[in-house]
Amino acid sequence: MTRTDWTAVWGVVAKDLRAVVRSKSVVIPMLAVPVLLMVFLPGAIGLAARAAPGVQVERLLGDVPGDLARPILDLPVEEQLIVLVNGYLLAPLFLIVPLMVSAVLAADAFAGEKERKTLESLLHSSIRDRDLFLAKFLSAFLPALAVSWLGFLAFVIVANGVAWPVMGRVFVPTRLWGVMILWVAPAVATLGLAVMVRVSARTHTAQEANQLGGAVILPLIFLAVGQSTGLLLVTLPIAVGIGAVIWAVALLLLRGGVKRFTRDALVAQV
Amino acid sequence: MHDGIVTEGLTRLFPGGVGLADLSLEVASGEVLALLGPNGAGKTTTVRLLNGVLRPDRGHARVLGLDPATHGDELRRRTGVLTEHAGLDDRLTARENLHYAARIRGITGPAVEARIGELLDRFGMGERADQPVRGASTGQRKRLGLARSLLHDPEVLFLDEPTSGLDPTATRDVVELIGSLATEHGRTIVLATHFLGEAGRLADRMAVLDRGELVAYGRPADLADDLWDGLEAEVDLGARATTEQLDVVASVIGVHTVEPSPAGAVLRVAGRDVLPHVVARLVGAGAPVYAAVPRPPTLEDVYFEIEARRAASAGLPPAPDPRGVPT
Repeated sequence: MTRTDWTAVWGVVAKDLRAVVRSKSVVIPMLAVPVLLMVFLPGAIGLAARAAPGVQVERLLGDVPGDLARPILDLPVEEQLIVLVNGYLLAPLFLIVPLMVSAVLAADAFAGEKERKTLESLLHSSIRDRDLFLAKFLSAFLPALAVSWLGFLAFVIVANGVAWPVMGRVFVPTRLWGVMILWVAPAVATLGLAVMVRVSARTHTAQEANQLGGAVILPLIFLAVGQSTGLLLVTLPIAVGIGAVIWAVALLLLRGGVKRFTRDALVAQV
Repeated sequence: MHDGIVTEGLTRLFPGGVGLADLSLEVASGEVLALLGPNGAGKTTTVRLLNGVLRPDRGHARVLGLDPATHGDELRRRTGVLTEHAGLDDRLTARENLHYAARIRGITGPAVEARIGELLDRFGMGERADQPVRGASTGQRKRLGLARSLLHDPEVLFLDEPTSGLDPTATRDVVELIGSLATEHGRTIVLATHFLGEAGRLADRMAVLDRGELVAYGRPADLADDLWDGLEAEVDLGARATTEQLDVVASVIGVHTVEPSPAGAVLRVAGRDVLPHVVARLVGAGAPVYAAVPRPPTLEDVYFEIEARRAASAGLPPAPDPRGVPT
């Protein structure tokens, strides 16, 4: 097997990132959701908890098995809402961030090349098929991870900062958050990417790809809704297991995508 | 080893039909091949096959001694391509687009900046170098695309409609540049174009494609010899030739046909050496002869004659000749 031409790979990645940063239509939706989920939501919850310190969460946790609800119910009443929402309920919602960012960027990286009519000249260059796929993967994966992690950092600062008068201590990240950030989020980013690679092969514009790929986000939103109603409160082993399943599915899809990612197949779509 | 281009039975099928069927041709190093034909003729498919972007279903090709189907990556390091849409990223500046192309091709180091600057200046893009490509005219995009295709000093150039959308001055500049790349720098050039004028000025060989099939291939002069018997010439008499004058011309040995024209007569002769006899006979008959000019067929004449004969053999009316001259 020939060695990866990293100069070419990083050339494509650098160009894609530079171009994305200059594209408001890509950057704004890509950053709006993380800001909403990672900054506004925890901030609002913290402020609400400070305004009404005696809110009972027992009713919310009524349907949740006792073992799962116990760590929250054992806390002082004024801390329960903050810990429930910012410590637990936002964790699955947070998965929307890597999924969405990787999907948006993958649509731009793959379908966007067709839309801008830049794909053919790229295929006529000397970059190898495998290196081009790797470059496009990294162009979407690295920013998705960066936005997720930076978003999480913002979340930690906002959640702890706003809740400090009530909590008087740092309460996130929890171990669940650690698994989400380091294990599940990269898996989800890869899944979003793998799906968009396939979707992009069937569409001609990034917008079409995003619309078609949007169907992928729905199951996750469903999961998040389930979480918020107390039906699906994940524990640490479950989170690790979910991550493993997502990794497996993502890598399987990605492998299929790599096989189909040939110049011959791509140029037929131009 | 052949340093140019050789194809034998090159065929590519698509789900919708034939992309290219049984293409066999040969282009020597330093020659310009004009790929001619209407939209959907197979010109772009040919370029893609020759540069290893598409794989053939049958047949094979060798470009610079390499098989594009098996050594495409290696080959593309030595070829440059200007696609029909220049393929530039609008969000980057002209300079950044060239830097990007350089990095993909593994061209790095301090010499890159100088090379990019030189190309931007050469193609009149120096002043726009640091502005986004969005907002650039079609001509500027073409010139930038051409600059990018030359960045790595390729041995073979594939140019797809290099002058479409260019104004007359830019067209002239690009045509001159392409000509100099072949004649002075010895590059082999495949020029896919609708513009027969530029093809006529540049091409050593022409290949006429139609619906994926090679209709005609060769040097324009050789194809003309196959198409016509003798040479066309025009005699300027200052006015349409009279019947008597036409009879005088027709009686000269070596004159095959003669027709009146607004300025005198158009005749077909066995060779250019017949013309002095025609002039002498007309002058002897008291006709004022202002000029007698041989008119060797141009690439355009050859192309339209091929198209007309194909239409006739298929029982179709001949396609109109956009030049307004008889074919």
